[in-house]
Amino acid sequence: MKILVYIQSAEEKINPISLESLASAQQLKKEKSAQIHAVTFSSDIANKLSQYDIDSVIHVNDNNLQEYSPLHYIETFNQLSSELNPDLIIFGHTYETRDWVPRLSARLDIPFLSDCVGMSVNDTISYTRSLYQNKINTDLSIPSGSAIISFQSGAYKVDSLKQGSCNVEQMNVDLSSVENKIVNEEKFKETDGAIDLSAADFIVSIGRGIAKEENIPMAKELADLIGAQLASSRPVVDSGWLNHSLQIGSSGQIVSPKLYFALGISGAIQHSVGMKGSGCIMVINKDANAPIFEIADYGIVGDIMEIVPKLSSAIKEING
Amino acid sequence: MKICVLVKQVPNEDAVIKISPDGSGIIEDNLTFCTNEPDTYALEEALQMKEAYPDTEVVVCTLGKNTASQILKEALAKGADRAIFINDDTKYNDALSAAKVIANVLSKESFDLILSGLQSDDDGHGQTGLILAELLNMTHASLVVGTEIVDNKIRVKKELESGWFQWAEMELPASISIQSGLNKPRYASLKGIMGAKRKPMDNIERSQVEVVDKNNVKMENVYLPEKSKETHYIEGDSDEIVAGIIKVLKDDIKAI
Amino acid sequence: MDSEQREVLEVDFLFVGAGPASLSGALHLKNITKEKHPNLSIAIIEKASEVGAHSLSGAVVDPISLNELFPGLNNEDFPFEHEVKKEYMYYLTKKNKLSVPFIPKPMSHHGCYIASIGKLTRWLEQKCEEAEIDIFAGFPGSEILYNDSNVIGIRTGDQGIDKNGEKKPNFEPGVDIHAKVTFFGEGSRGSLTKQLINKFNLMDGKNPQNWAIGVKELWQLPEEKLPPGYVAHTLGEPLGHSLFGGGFMYSMKNNILDLGIVVGLDYKNPHVDPHHELQLLKSHPWIKNILEGAEILAYGSKTLPEGGIYSLPKLYVDGAMLIGDSAGFLNGQRLKGIHLAMKSGMLAAEAAQIALDANDYTQEQLMNYDTIFKESWAYKELYKVRNFHQGFEKGLMHGMANAGIGLFTGGRGFGIYNKLSSEDGHIHMEKPSPSFDKYDNIDYDGKYILDKLTDVYYSATSHDEDQVPHLHVNDPSICIDKCKEEYGNPCQNFCPANVYEIVDDGEERLQINFSNCVHCKTCDIMDPYQIIDWTTPQGGDGPSWKNM
Repeated sequence: MKILVYIQSAEEKINPISLESLASAQQLKKEKSAQIHAVTFSSDIANKLSQYDIDSVIHVNDNNLQEYSPLHYIETFNQLSSELNPDLIIFGHTYETRDWVPRLSARLDIPFLSDCVGMSVNDTISYTRSLYQNKINTDLSIPSGSAIISFQSGAYKVDSLKQGSCNVEQMNVDLSSVENKIVNEEKFKETDGAIDLSAADFIVSIGRGIAKEENIPMAKELADLIGAQLASSRPVVDSGWLNHSLQIGSSGQIVSPKLYFALGISGAIQHSVGMKGSGCIMVINKDANAPIFEIADYGIVGDIMEIVPKLSSAIKEING
Repeated sequence: MKICVLVKQVPNEDAVIKISPDGSGIIEDNLTFCTNEPDTYALEEALQMKEAYPDTEVVVCTLGKNTASQILKEALAKGADRAIFINDDTKYNDALSAAKVIANVLSKESFDLILSGLQSDDDGHGQTGLILAELLNMTHASLVVGTEIVDNKIRVKKELESGWFQWAEMELPASISIQSGLNKPRYASLKGIMGAKRKPMDNIERSQVEVVDKNNVKMENVYLPEKSKETHYIEGDSDEIVAGIIKVLKDDIKAI
Repeated sequence: MDSEQREVLEVDFLFVGAGPASLSGALHLKNITKEKHPNLSIAIIEKASEVGAHSLSGAVVDPISLNELFPGLNNEDFPFEHEVKKEYMYYLTKKNKLSVPFIPKPMSHHGCYIASIGKLTRWLEQKCEEAEIDIFAGFPGSEILYNDSNVIGIRTGDQGIDKNGEKKPNFEPGVDIHAKVTFFGEGSRGSLTKQLINKFNLMDGKNPQNWAIGVKELWQLPEEKLPPGYVAHTLGEPLGHSLFGGGFMYSMKNNILDLGIVVGLDYKNPHVDPHHELQLLKSHPWIKNILEGAEILAYGSKTLPEGGIYSLPKLYVDGAMLIGDSAGFLNGQRLKGIHLAMKSGMLAAEAAQIALDANDYTQEQLMNYDTIFKESWAYKELYKVRNFHQGFEKGLMHGMANAGIGLFTGGRGFGIYNKLSSEDGHIHMEKPSPSFDKYDNIDYDGKYILDKLTDVYYSATSHDEDQVPHLHVNDPSICIDKCKEEYGNPCQNFCPANVYEIVDDGEERLQINFSNCVHCKTCDIMDPYQIIDWTTPQGGDGPSWKNM
């Protein structure tokens, strides 16, 4: 089978979620002898990608593709697809992917299974999607024909990518027919915005075990040291110590970060439905019987007041 | 201006989802349903545009089983002018198949704008509005957190990764998927509810839509995401524990 | 006080609460007036986002009222689960169950049907809509409108007020609905009904209402373990001899088990926790066995008015009538209230028709409601109940049954309907006992025996967090200064939804987790200081029950 994997990049940096999805293709290379071709619009990135165990890197060089431009991207893949006839086109599920790949799916008239959390390869290949806000999973397969797949951040790990070596092939496309009716302006950052916890890779979350408002900075320090967002379970918000926008759970946000570090959270079902889909759940709680240990990957029965400050110091030392 | 707002009926977000004994789907008997929350923001955005440009018609459309007409009535009660109900109880496994049916129906009129919620709380594909842009030859934008109509173009503020934003200017007709939180959806008033009964609702059966379902996505099963989880306990005195945590953070998580 | 510009909606008749009483009342009213008054506008307002979402009952329904309202239909046409086929009464010890061999006829469910009140009300809603009755779901009645002492209608709740009482961008003011007659069908301990009763002293000369709380769960059994039409009631454990009430198990369609417990709200022990009693009931080996392999579907709770005929308030004032559980038409001994609620709605409708023809809606006219009631089978049924124990003075079997059932009523025999209890239930409460340990050994396995917070999750209840809490505690300092010592803060125990919590985050205070509320009204009834006022939250908020 032939697979194209689009590797998104910006300013000569590969988007990590995109790169992770390459690992899914490597799994298919291993188990189904698939041919993998990474696709990039940057020559710099093309060189970097040639060091992975894939069959080739396809570099499409066109001025219109240097910045994200959906209509041009779509036409590019339209042409690549007619030329190469891939069985699968794989993406990382990034903000960009969300913006143009559904349209590509309609252009090519092939299904797009978006935001997949996993894939299993047997006689058939099935793709796992999460439904009802992470409440249940479903396995889908494509009996015949091509498809587009995107993988959720964390479904695969960049670590598992195999190194290798391959050639970079140049391909040209003709984008003269594309009428650019969508004109993007300059990107900008906003200082004041509602925090979207669902976008955070790491979350440090506090519960009733934090005991006092004065103890919160201790947790915030740890969060900052590991580049995590601070969040909490209900009782902390109810006491007025943190804003409701940081609440995780059935009446707050539902998240599935790579790391959910729960400090002093008991794990009532109202909370756990908001985070049990997380990649790695690490728990510190004084009470060995707290229900949260049932969904934890790493459990520490201990006092957060003792452990967290020591942990923060140790991290500071490592960071230098 | 003619705006179409796509809405979907989904189980209430607090609903306890149970899997049917044969694993083929969920048990719907005990569920209450409501309008997909992201769609309520799309509808509100359309209604605010109608208030700003009085010559605007807001048409609300859904594809769903019998009970789905309820959410159209609610949208009419909030101020939409007309409703299109595509009565279809097919279980679509992918977004493209359902979107083709909707596109076929909407193509019979010419809409300047199609607004949809970012994604549905049930399937969460997040694609329908954008697929329609392609099928109906419109411009598109997703993750929109702000809109501005300028002459016969629309400017949209899009949310990007990591706190970045970007405005884009697009020609009409356009199909836009709306991010939650950009406005405060209004409540239907009593008068609105009474008035809704007199507003037109077109009923279209799936069999009347000339689209052949390719059926090329197969659902193998649905199940609870049981993580075969073994909790690894990190033990010892506090120094040993800290060391154990650091190892995980460093080697597995790559947070440090 | 209210400076808001509000819309006024004029209707002819308004029903508050879309339960069986209002739905039947509205439909009956439409039926009996449509010839002479074809364009009568009848409206029902309901606080839940859809009819049935806040409705909860056992239930075993006597079809008599449905037969009257729908003479052209048969019992098979009604949305019942099963006809009662096998009924049992058991006295439970800690490990065993003893069959009560003889079920007294008035307590028999022969000819009755197991039903879900949610399904029934949705079915009635459809009939009402076909009859062009306007039903407004998501609109709570928040204030009664008066013209002097004349009830002229209801103001619906404002929407879009934040937790500081400020208007949000999507603020929508409540509407004043004016009606010739307003029917109060809010269910047990209706919030507006409570105001009406107090304002017009409608309980003067009556026994205070006696209340009970029902806590129930729906379970999906893996296969048929109980035959269709199976009804069982239990006495004895876990309530023991000092608590009024008992357990119930009904088999619903699709192997769903409806399992619950009723606890009288007149107990002395402030530790009593009805939710925990239900978990103890499920811990009984017999029931544990039945639940093996089952999955929980839903949890909920509601109070019931058990006082019967002597606790009915005066049923009418100028411009208004009380119907259903808001008045207290429930037959506690038969454990049935739905048929009586429906009938009361229909009787009130007949009184409204007379008033309509006379164009006079004063209490002198509406008094016909009382007159018609006293001539009806409903009155006869409720009246018969208080003489119930006469039927049991003959013979040992009868005596045994009476004794068995006497345990069920906390040693009061069937005198629950005589004037034994002439005080409000909440005043019986005593000081907490330090040695109370009944609930200490409950084995919460998270699968069959669920802690309260987990059960709350299965009630699918939710409230917009950004609103003023709908539970008004008039003086929260009492909680720490007085109640803690006198009663041990029993709100934490009697509330089945973990709404009330004494927390200590630096200082001790009462925390109200209002978004857990399942609208049962237990706190309003049982709070020993009577400082809790349950009011309607934002429209649509609350449980999302489907088939409870």
